[in-house]
Amino acid sequence: MKFPVRMLREFVATELSAEGLGDLLTMAGFELEGIEPTADGTDAILDIKVVSNRGDGLSVLGLAREVLAKDANSRPTAHYERAAARFPGMVATGSEIGSVTIESAACTRYASVVIDQVVNGTAPAEIQARLEAAGMRSISLLVDLTNYVMLEVGQPLHAFDVAKLGTDIVVREARPGETLTTLDGVERELLPHHLVIANRERAVAVAGVMGGLDTEVDASTTRVLLESAHFVNTSVRKTRRQLGLSTEASYRFERSVDPNGVDAASRRFIELLREVQPDIVVHPMVDLYPVRPESPMIRIDLSRASQLLGMTITLPEALRYLQALGFHTTLAEPLFVSPPSWRPDVLRFEDVVEELGRVHGYERIPEALPFGHTVPGGLTLTHQLHARLIDTMLRQGFSQVVAHSLRDLHPLDAPGERVGPRQPGSPELAYLRNSLLPGLAEAASRNGARDLHLFEFGRVFAATDGEATREWAALAVLTTGNLHPSDRANDPVTPASFLTAKGVLERLLEGVGIRASYRRPAQVDPRFHPTRVAEVVVSDQGSAERVVGVVGQIHPLRAEALDLPAATILAELDVDALTLAPRADVELRRISRNPAVRRDIAVLMPKSVAFAEIEAALGAAEHDLLESHWLFDVYEGVGIEPGFHSLGIGLQFRKHGGNLTDAEANQARDAIVRALESMGGTLR
Amino acid sequence: MSDTASLVAQAESDIAAATSTAALRAIESQYLGKNGLITSLLRNMGKLAAEDRPAFGAAINAAKDQVTARIESATLVLREQELAAQFEAEALDVTMPPPSRHLGTPHILYLTTQKIQRVLGGLGFEYAESPELEEFRYNFDALNYPPDHPAMDDQDTFYINDDWVLRTQCTALQGRVFEHRRPPLRFFTVGRTFRNEAVDRTHNHTFHQVDCFMIDEGISMAHLKGTLGAFARAMFGDEVKVRFRPDFFPFVEPGVDYAISSPHLFDGRWVELGGAGLIHPNILERYGIDPNRYSGFAFGLGVERIPMMAYGVDDLRLFLENDLRFLNQFRGVLA
Repeated sequence: MKFPVRMLREFVATELSAEGLGDLLTMAGFELEGIEPTADGTDAILDIKVVSNRGDGLSVLGLAREVLAKDANSRPTAHYERAAARFPGMVATGSEIGSVTIESAACTRYASVVIDQVVNGTAPAEIQARLEAAGMRSISLLVDLTNYVMLEVGQPLHAFDVAKLGTDIVVREARPGETLTTLDGVERELLPHHLVIANRERAVAVAGVMGGLDTEVDASTTRVLLESAHFVNTSVRKTRRQLGLSTEASYRFERSVDPNGVDAASRRFIELLREVQPDIVVHPMVDLYPVRPESPMIRIDLSRASQLLGMTITLPEALRYLQALGFHTTLAEPLFVSPPSWRPDVLRFEDVVEELGRVHGYERIPEALPFGHTVPGGLTLTHQLHARLIDTMLRQGFSQVVAHSLRDLHPLDAPGERVGPRQPGSPELAYLRNSLLPGLAEAASRNGARDLHLFEFGRVFAATDGEATREWAALAVLTTGNLHPSDRANDPVTPASFLTAKGVLERLLEGVGIRASYRRPAQVDPRFHPTRVAEVVVSDQGSAERVVGVVGQIHPLRAEALDLPAATILAELDVDALTLAPRADVELRRISRNPAVRRDIAVLMPKSVAFAEIEAALGAAEHDLLESHWLFDVYEGVGIEPGFHSLGIGLQFRKHGGNLTDAEANQARDAIVRALESMGGTLR
Repeated sequence: MSDTASLVAQAESDIAAATSTAALRAIESQYLGKNGLITSLLRNMGKLAAEDRPAFGAAINAAKDQVTARIESATLVLREQELAAQFEAEALDVTMPPPSRHLGTPHILYLTTQKIQRVLGGLGFEYAESPELEEFRYNFDALNYPPDHPAMDDQDTFYINDDWVLRTQCTALQGRVFEHRRPPLRFFTVGRTFRNEAVDRTHNHTFHQVDCFMIDEGISMAHLKGTLGAFARAMFGDEVKVRFRPDFFPFVEPGVDYAISSPHLFDGRWVELGGAGLIHPNILERYGIDPNRYSGFAFGLGVERIPMMAYGVDDLRLFLENDLRFLNQFRGVLA
């Protein structure tokens, strides 16, 4: 809403400068968006942002009320008093003419006045200048005056040429197949729920939006029908949206226009026209206003209002603020107030509390911390687990990325049905991610795809069956290249591999007290190298096993398609499933003060025996003395029979409360060797 | 001169001539070792008369002590010299680049989230999350949106179907909480939100929000201002001031936007941070909470706004582009 400040000063006498008025309006809830000088440099133009529930602020009169309420030193002018009294005193000089029929509840009031002996020249220079300052183009005297009155009091007006229209008005819904060429020259197809203004034959205007081209006033116009009406905001919004046509009028109707000000705007128009052309003939107004809206009567408990605002508002203050804003009030407590017709947003006590607060000034509210009841705040266990997962990934040298949820299809999408917005606007936003891996792959490419160790924690989505959708928290990992940079030429490096990635997952889960096992998946996942992939499985207490994720080397064809290194390892965990997994309690063990004894063995094993089986055998053979074990060598090739490999296994034995003898250690080792031999192994 | 005295003199002269602690160790062994020259004198003990033996023994012990003391003091001096030489030889260029390591860097949005969690958790607010793919009714109906509010357009909101949307605001948590919790309550959330918007430096279709609300008896705009003040000062520094201006959101009444200013941010200009207000009585009533007894406040803001203001990030898109050259700059940020 742009306007020159002198228009505001016609309504309110104030000592505030243009900047001061801008600040006042900002603090009243009408934000100053810009201030600039007028073309002639004698005045300032304010550009004010009006929030969507304050249509009354889309007029100079409405903003003048705000100034009167908030600036205790301001006074209303005579012009303001006349506007407040609805511009009384119009004298009709002609005979009764024309008729109005309202056939839709979407039109709540329609006032038409026929004016004769008009000369549609140009508007006075001052009016033109003011409209220009408000960002409206000067067109002709009649059109400029309709716009000027709208700027002043917020009521959209429309002038029809009676020679083209006739004098009878019907407000109705459009007929099937009906079209109308609007003032902008575009032929519009109307839909049956579009509200139109029509004469006896045809639609001549889209109600509240734009007039028709073939009834517009022009230089030859001598008889005018002036429309001032009120339409239901939702009807205007729907029509405007479907026609893709937003105008100054529709903008106001969509927010709110004062239904009680309809006739006053017509009178103001005629008053202005008579100043230029005193000889016009004005016929009596035909004003249909079938149902007047009722204003609520609201009881105001000032002490409760003060308590909610956190600052005290006295009765005299409350009366002054509300009366300046046009509210009707009782004069003593119990205080009852009734909002004016231009404030449909005020419906209940709390709405009035806002009025009192913003006029009194939110800057006067002190700061206080809430006291009284306290509740334990902070994170739940689930969110602590999320934080620990992220933290453990960081500790393992992985960098966190955060990628988009809305995306296009990608070779690393998980198999399964997808979900996406029904109107995505662009193909890049067509789907909700069902895996974090595509985002990680893109992050890897963006950062050079070499020696990268990345993870993301975020939500993913899938369709479960047709309509239903599932959303869950996931954590995904991408690791490729050297685990640590090689610093100087020839420094040894360790590249990321399936096993290093598996280690990352093991430590990650250990960090939240979960033990998982890893096995070849039963179903082929085309994203992964088919013999270098494992399901991550956790066992619920004694019952079912649950697959919580996958870890594997990228399928070589996907790696090629994405231009990622072949040795890129990917993993993804369903964090929601993890939070359901049993978490190990701390089982505190005594620390032995006795020395450990180490024995290394090398066993020739058939490759068909999985290491997990060997580990199980180790545990069963000597669980008392065997403190830990580790695989330190895997060898196959020269000197080893095909189908076999040599495993170097370190064994560490320790006793509590006594030193282990060599003999005892050897005995324990031999028991383990026997167990391995029974599985087809040979001690080398 | 007795044998002992001449051996001591000889040892002292050797000690004086020694140029290394290793030479001193050799001298020690030569004179005082098991078969050392002085130790060996004890073998003569047997040849002496019984009454002479104590004096002889004492003399030899004194000689050993004297030589030992000399070696020790000479060792101190030579060790000092040797260390000085060693240090000189082992001198490093401390400005050489160290070996590098891949250091995991948290995303700045996560650091910001953690900081928010610390501050609001510390003020007694419970952290909760609600779905990103949200039911229409929690995103709009529960928040007092009229049935045809413009925000409900497909042009503004991503619909999956008529009943499910990508949440446009984290405020959608409110209805879910009010369904199963009674006042007094204090909650906050941090999460991802979506708006069907054209993307540019200051707009993205996907961004993140903090939403915080409480309900209790006697909660006022002053408590809102105080909580926001405490929050903003924890985020942006001790000198931050909070300003309210009237604004309109369907779920609050009175509704305000709040701005902050600090001499350290944007030359002290007021910068708008988000929306706030007292929870609309229609919402309280919808969930069976008596608005005459209880009141509550709510505020929200964009998570990205915090690093944008604190570090001068001028392009919203950077947060989801995952360029490590951008992200790694926030390594030192404390949460």
